[in-house]
Amino acid sequence: MSKIEKALSRAREGRGNLQVVPVAATMAASGTAVVANSAAHPETIPRMAKSEVRLLSADELAQRGLIHPQHSEDPTVQVFRELRTRIVQQTRGQNAVILVTSVSKGCGGSFIAQNLGAAFAFDVGKTALLIDCNLEHPSVHRLLVNASLPGLADYFENPDVDIQKIIHAVGIARYRLITAGKRREILEEHFTSEKMKHLIDTLRRRYQERFIIIDGPPMAKIADIRILSDLADYVLVVARYGRSTDTQIANCLTAVSDKKMLGIVFNEEPRIPRIR
Amino acid sequence: MLPEQIAKALITESFHSRRLVVALFVIVNAAMLTAGWLWPKGYVASTSILVDERTIIQPLMQGAAVATDALDRSKNAREVIFGRKIMDVVLEYGGWLKGKPSEESERLIEEIKKRTFITTVGKNILRIEYHDIDPLRAFRVTEKYAELFIQESIAAKAAESGAAFAFIEKQTQDYQDKLARTEEELKELRSSTLEVRAGSDTEVTTRLTDLNRRIDVAMQELREAEVKEASLERQVSGEAESTADIFREGQYRVRIAELQSKLDTLRLSYRDTHPDIVQVKTQIQDLTDGLNAQRQRPEKTRRDESVVNNPVYQQLRREQAQIQGTIEALQVRIAELQRQLQGEIGRGKRLHSGDARLAELTRDYLLRRRENARVSMNLDRDRQGLTFKIQEPVTLPQSPVGPRFWHFVAGGMLLGVLLPMGLLLARLQLDPRIRVGSMIALAHKVPIVTIVPHLWSPTELKSLRWEVVFLSLVVVATIAASAAIAAMRVIKVL
Repeated sequence: MSKIEKALSRAREGRGNLQVVPVAATMAASGTAVVANSAAHPETIPRMAKSEVRLLSADELAQRGLIHPQHSEDPTVQVFRELRTRIVQQTRGQNAVILVTSVSKGCGGSFIAQNLGAAFAFDVGKTALLIDCNLEHPSVHRLLVNASLPGLADYFENPDVDIQKIIHAVGIARYRLITAGKRREILEEHFTSEKMKHLIDTLRRRYQERFIIIDGPPMAKIADIRILSDLADYVLVVARYGRSTDTQIANCLTAVSDKKMLGIVFNEEPRIPRIR
Repeated sequence: MLPEQIAKALITESFHSRRLVVALFVIVNAAMLTAGWLWPKGYVASTSILVDERTIIQPLMQGAAVATDALDRSKNAREVIFGRKIMDVVLEYGGWLKGKPSEESERLIEEIKKRTFITTVGKNILRIEYHDIDPLRAFRVTEKYAELFIQESIAAKAAESGAAFAFIEKQTQDYQDKLARTEEELKELRSSTLEVRAGSDTEVTTRLTDLNRRIDVAMQELREAEVKEASLERQVSGEAESTADIFREGQYRVRIAELQSKLDTLRLSYRDTHPDIVQVKTQIQDLTDGLNAQRQRPEKTRRDESVVNNPVYQQLRREQAQIQGTIEALQVRIAELQRQLQGEIGRGKRLHSGDARLAELTRDYLLRRRENARVSMNLDRDRQGLTFKIQEPVTLPQSPVGPRFWHFVAGGMLLGVLLPMGLLLARLQLDPRIRVGSMIALAHKVPIVTIVPHLWSPTELKSLRWEVVFLSLVVVATIAASAAIAAMRVIKVL
């Protein structure tokens, strides 16, 4: 491959991730994210574009276990797009808070949450914010280059840390995330706190097109799930091929109210890839 | 689960557990190859013996004995062949004992027995089959089996025939003796009484009837005579008494009448006070008293001369004497008739027992049995009762039997695929962990929002590529190795 071809390929990849993001120069902001102090005036996407970090290439995303719209023929990518469409249909275009939880540890709940966020972000009319509430086994921070950036724990523990400081760009256009934070000994009581409620409300109101995805702990932490599902509008339960049993699923379903239950995502079905 | 769901799940699972599948394929093939290599070549020699067996004793038993069926025949043959006698000979003949202690003979015999199969084909054909790794030994041992079996069976049969012969002979002798004895007794019986002879049964009966009738008549007569005698006895005694009484009263009455007449005459001349009249009156009175006394006297008047001389009495006595004579004669006659009757009955009995014994001994079946016994004895003497014929002689086995090496190779290939598939299918069916997404919706009435296939990262794809190449090579190498070994085995390089 010649240097010119490589350059062209890189340019294509960059465009692919960026999609049709218009360059907005109207509002300047510094830091990793822009969050208005008042929720009364919803901001628009162009404001966010300024805060983007370097966008990741398709391969880089693939290495992090994330889908990329460039691989549109990939069945996994198609599946996440369909999932996004179904949720949008369900919410009738309104933004929503979606809790993603696993039937048990290792079912890939974080994978689904991260990629669902990516799928929302791929839609130019929508943005996505992923919150890592799996405090025992956090994983969202791995998507960041600097994994030690402040997160949810810091927000609860340190009054000096405000919302803007915990929202980080991930290298995908219109995609932000809040990590679990440095302090992992955070007590689950914080989920029931007013601060948590305030956080969710603020995030939800800040951008009307923002879909908030909570990466929840597995269903074994049933108390946390109940609290988080109260904060969320919808719940997705992730079961894994060759791991989850009927009994486990039945137990999970008792913890979530039927109204909020979107359904079950059956993850990790083996697929024979095309090998060239 | 629907069949297509199972098929799809099986394919997915095979890919998911590809390493396990390939490993099993290799292990199964290697195991089958080893098994095929170590599997001893087996040679089978067989022979069929036609057994035409007619039991000597059977026709004599008139169906009482049950004919031996095919099952019994093979069982019997097994008993004979697996007997220590034949097995010892075979052990020696097959050369198993060379260089081995005799303590091992038990174990060797058991092993040989396991390789020997005795079956019956149809009703009369016995098949002996022997498996061995050495074709020549298989041939020789089978031949020996047949030879020894026939030899042993004929010997056993001869013993049976001998026993049967002795039995029949003894029976025949007994019958003959009995017959002779009875005929002798009959002869004596016939000569002892002329009346007793064959066919005099009716005469005896007639005579017995006649005697009985005559006894009855005599008894009747006797009873009548006795009644008559009793009656005469009563009449004789009655006549004597009345005669005596009438005679004395008459005398009184005659005297009284005479005196009354004299009184009447005197009364014509004299008054009643006249002494003559008084005298006469007194006399009359006395006589009247005497008459009354006579009438009132209780004791029987002794028979006196006047009674004896009564003619009626004498007549009665005569008749009485005659009757007594008749009774005695009748009694003698009855005794004589009864004696005759007893004699006749005895004769009748003897006649009957003689007839019965004669009838028993001259019955048809006895004669037939005797004839059959004679036939059987002859059959036995001529060895006609039992024949063995080698229907199919033993041949030297040319090619081995049982699975060939290529069977193992082909079986290994097939089993190498089927075993992992079977295990995966079993896991699919038995493992509670879900492998078919649509089953969740059915079980929990909750929608399956989506089924997310595995997202292959570039690194994963790269390693998968290498893995697939490696596994394919392993499979191809396994198949090639098996085929090569099988081919070499066929062309006898190995």
